[in-house]
Amino acid sequence: MAPGALLLEAHREYEKSSQKADEYLREIKEQNVLGDAVRQCVEAAAHEYDPDTQKALMRAASFGKCFLTEFSPDQFVTTCRELRVLNAVRESSVGMPLTHTQFKQMTLQVLIDRLVYRQFYPLAIEVCRYLKIPDYQGVSRVLKHWASCKVQQKDLTDEAIARAVCAKVGDSPGVSYSDVAAKAYECGRPELAIKLLDFEARSGEQVPLLLKMKRSQLALSKAVESGDTDLVYTVVTYLKNEMNRGDFFMTLRNQPVALSLYRQFCKLQEPQTLKDLFNQDDDHQELGNFYVTSSYRDKRLEGRLAQLQSAVDEYNKAKNDFAVKATEEEMRLLRFQRKLDDEKGAGLLGLSLQATMEALMSLGLHKQAEQLYRDFRVPDKRYWWLKLKSLAEKEQWEELEKFSKSKKSPIGYLVREAPPLNSPL
Amino acid sequence: MAHSARRDSPELPDLSLLKRLVRDQLIYLLEQLPGKKDLFIDSDLMSPLDRIANVSTLKQHEVDKLYKVEHKPIVSISDQICFLIRPRMQTVKWICDVVNADKAAGKFRRYKIIFTPQKFYACEAVLEEQGVFGDVTTDEWAFYLLPLDEDIISLELPEFFRDNFLAGDQRWVRTAGSALHLLHSLFGPFSKVYGIGRCSKMTYESWREQVEQGEQKARHAEIGNVFLIDRDVDFVTPLCSQVVYEGLVDDIFRIKCGCVEFGPEVTSSDKSIKVMLNSQDKVFNEIRNEHFSNVFGFLSQKARNLQTAYDKRRGMDIQQMKTFVSEELKGLKQEHRLLSLHISASESIMKKKTKQDFQELLKTEHCLLEGFEIRECISFIEEHINRQVSMIESLRLLCLLSVTENGLLPKDFKSLKAQYLQSYGADHLLTFSNLRQLGLLVEQQPGETLTVMESKVGKLVNDRTAVKLTDAFSSLAKKSHFRALSKKLNLVPKSDEEYDLRVPRDMAYIFSGAYIPLSCKIIEQVLERDGWTGLEEVTRLINGHEFAVTGADPKSKSDAQRIILVMFLGGCTFSEISALRFLGKERGYKFIVVTTAITNSSRLLEALLDNNV
Repeated sequence: MAPGALLLEAHREYEKSSQKADEYLREIKEQNVLGDAVRQCVEAAAHEYDPDTQKALMRAASFGKCFLTEFSPDQFVTTCRELRVLNAVRESSVGMPLTHTQFKQMTLQVLIDRLVYRQFYPLAIEVCRYLKIPDYQGVSRVLKHWASCKVQQKDLTDEAIARAVCAKVGDSPGVSYSDVAAKAYECGRPELAIKLLDFEARSGEQVPLLLKMKRSQLALSKAVESGDTDLVYTVVTYLKNEMNRGDFFMTLRNQPVALSLYRQFCKLQEPQTLKDLFNQDDDHQELGNFYVTSSYRDKRLEGRLAQLQSAVDEYNKAKNDFAVKATEEEMRLLRFQRKLDDEKGAGLLGLSLQATMEALMSLGLHKQAEQLYRDFRVPDKRYWWLKLKSLAEKEQWEELEKFSKSKKSPIGYLVREAPPLNSPL
Repeated sequence: MAHSARRDSPELPDLSLLKRLVRDQLIYLLEQLPGKKDLFIDSDLMSPLDRIANVSTLKQHEVDKLYKVEHKPIVSISDQICFLIRPRMQTVKWICDVVNADKAAGKFRRYKIIFTPQKFYACEAVLEEQGVFGDVTTDEWAFYLLPLDEDIISLELPEFFRDNFLAGDQRWVRTAGSALHLLHSLFGPFSKVYGIGRCSKMTYESWREQVEQGEQKARHAEIGNVFLIDRDVDFVTPLCSQVVYEGLVDDIFRIKCGCVEFGPEVTSSDKSIKVMLNSQDKVFNEIRNEHFSNVFGFLSQKARNLQTAYDKRRGMDIQQMKTFVSEELKGLKQEHRLLSLHISASESIMKKKTKQDFQELLKTEHCLLEGFEIRECISFIEEHINRQVSMIESLRLLCLLSVTENGLLPKDFKSLKAQYLQSYGADHLLTFSNLRQLGLLVEQQPGETLTVMESKVGKLVNDRTAVKLTDAFSSLAKKSHFRALSKKLNLVPKSDEEYDLRVPRDMAYIFSGAYIPLSCKIIEQVLERDGWTGLEEVTRLINGHEFAVTGADPKSKSDAQRIILVMFLGGCTFSEISALRFLGKERGYKFIVVTTAITNSSRLLEALLDNNV
């Protein structure tokens, strides 16, 4: 006779308050197999279908355990739990006649999945809670399935479903409202999907679905809200291909973050689009700047002047008198430089006014330099500094003296002792 | 420092951990591409990379040759190529050109692009557009933070400033948030977070979001408090000339990634020498926070000490000599070498900075900060422009004038700009447009201002009475924000008191006692008040999205509570770091500065130039 059977018998006698219980127990103990006996009972209970038999076997095991020290209760406890779950799913209302071996084979996860597929949501949740499965793999997963199923119920209004889902799911970790909303959208209920998306805490998660639903405006504002520029950029590229230009620009106009992002992109990739963008906004100041920028890219002088002229027009519209004047002067200077380059090959084109005068002086073209000084109303001080420096550098001391006597110097002179002749300057 | 630090200052956490983490990750990424490969690196990643993994480490992991990413055909013959770049569209486009050129030539290679610190969708979009998306694999190297010293961490993202504040492109905000998150998970949990500025607020939110998504681990905090501050809260400080040693060295020689290259004029040979500047350098560590006028004194003292140490050799017996040579001599030699370098660097600085011009320049700056004799300042700036002293310097003075005076008078605004254009070319029209957008160089709004008052009054009476009168007027006249802030926070100490720079009494010493940096003063005030209460007027003037949030419970008065992480969004200067070090010593705090990049006036303004299209 197997020790387990003997233990069961011992327990039965014990229940009857018979001294035979002691006899049987001794017999097992003498063979040193009480541990095995307990294990056998537990195992047998696991394979039994009838709850009464299960109970009898488990009680016997529990009885035997009392006479053992240092016996791990784990097997006993798990089996108890598993049996409870198995008995629950074997109920006729559920109807899953699983054996314990089958259950072990297919694992608990699969069991829960099966329950979920059969839409026994409350039971599945109970099981998860009872077996203390972490929320991520347990309750949340079930809730997710439940919610996805809920949104397909045709007989309920959008409002009612959204409320029901929110009440149940709350903010359980691992349930993504956007997934549920995606399901709702698949089932042809976009309004519900949007309602559900509102519950999604992470605005970033809402964006892909909104795009899919062609709610691009909303997607853009959600992306901006998320603070993730990468996401904003994704939406912007999507919109760019999706919408016609005018609408696209209008959309961007309401979203400064997206707009500046797109501007950055255009600056690098599509300068012409940038111009259109400013045009749309009537941003004449920026347009002027744009023309000035592109004037430097133009290698030919005619092209450059044309660009600058456009800049002047825009600055005029922007009422930026200073910029108008500065740009016009630049054009005048460019023409002047061109003329001298042609005549004397001076290589002045593109230099600043100061540099031009400096170059002219060092070429000995003082008359032309003076012309610039007058034409461009160069401050006296600047001109004096420049002239003195240039003459001194070329050691034209007589010229310098002449110049110093021509007019009163606006910067004054410092009288200093002349250095000894042999010292370097 | 002449005065001793408080004894109970807390220990700084070990930041080198950051280096080890990214190094391991880089090696992992390199090993993902087994076999020999050539590595192409973004030019501005070269120095940061060098701090993480040197060439021999890279070679160990089968990197064959190193190249710079440039826009030109590549010469590599390797059949595996790895690109290590910042996520910029321009660079990605160059890479696409390389791949397409190979395709056209029928050459087959494997390409891998490693974006650091993260990849942007925009970059992938470029790959797609250029039709090479399927030919390359991409990866991310989460190299967010580079510890430059034991209390300085840099994101090494100089473009943060322009992108965020000028172009309004917030792509880097999330990067800053992730960087903060990394620090939080390594050295947190933070118990208090203060901040001011729009970008700070967004960074804070991005960080919070990441904290909520990740799992929380209870651990012992090493950094208790965090302060976030936007660069545009205080533009005055970075526009001032730096006069503390480390700042001066940065202004003149440009410190790059914690390393400076001293040219022939310093080394007195025909070679340049690269020197790491950090707390490991004992000589440098003692003078870095000193006002330049004290540096020579320190150096000569140091030289005497060194001599005494050398002199110990005399009268030693053989045994003593042996220990001396094996133990001390090497250290002394090293110190000797550094000492002579710093002495010649200081000499070189002296040559440039003690000239008449520099003294006048400083005087002008101080006048601007105090708001006196503005007309004289304007003529000085005018002459500065006319004589073409320096393109950036003139621009700096113009901006400083505008920021302290809350804009220039329309007449000055036009004439100074016109003269600047004559000096440096009309293309600076674009620069001016940028500066105006940032509020660095603007026209004064109509209305009587202090300057107008002053100049009117100044004509009637002599200077001393004018000062008194302007004080009286100041309550009536519409003042600049900076003036109001300066008054409210006492940024400009009374000028009639003597300021002993050897024994600094407040943070003003970093600007020769003329001005306490606004950014640091705000930090000091907020920490003192444990929040923004009582500073309402100040925040209103700064217009600044301020916040203070209590996070993990700060129950224990542990050391971590006195370690404060200050994050500058848009860059900070060495002077500010020196000021914070001083504040820390005074109050028994330790500051760790995290910045998107180390900046100074030149870098700040160069980022805003638009003349080199």
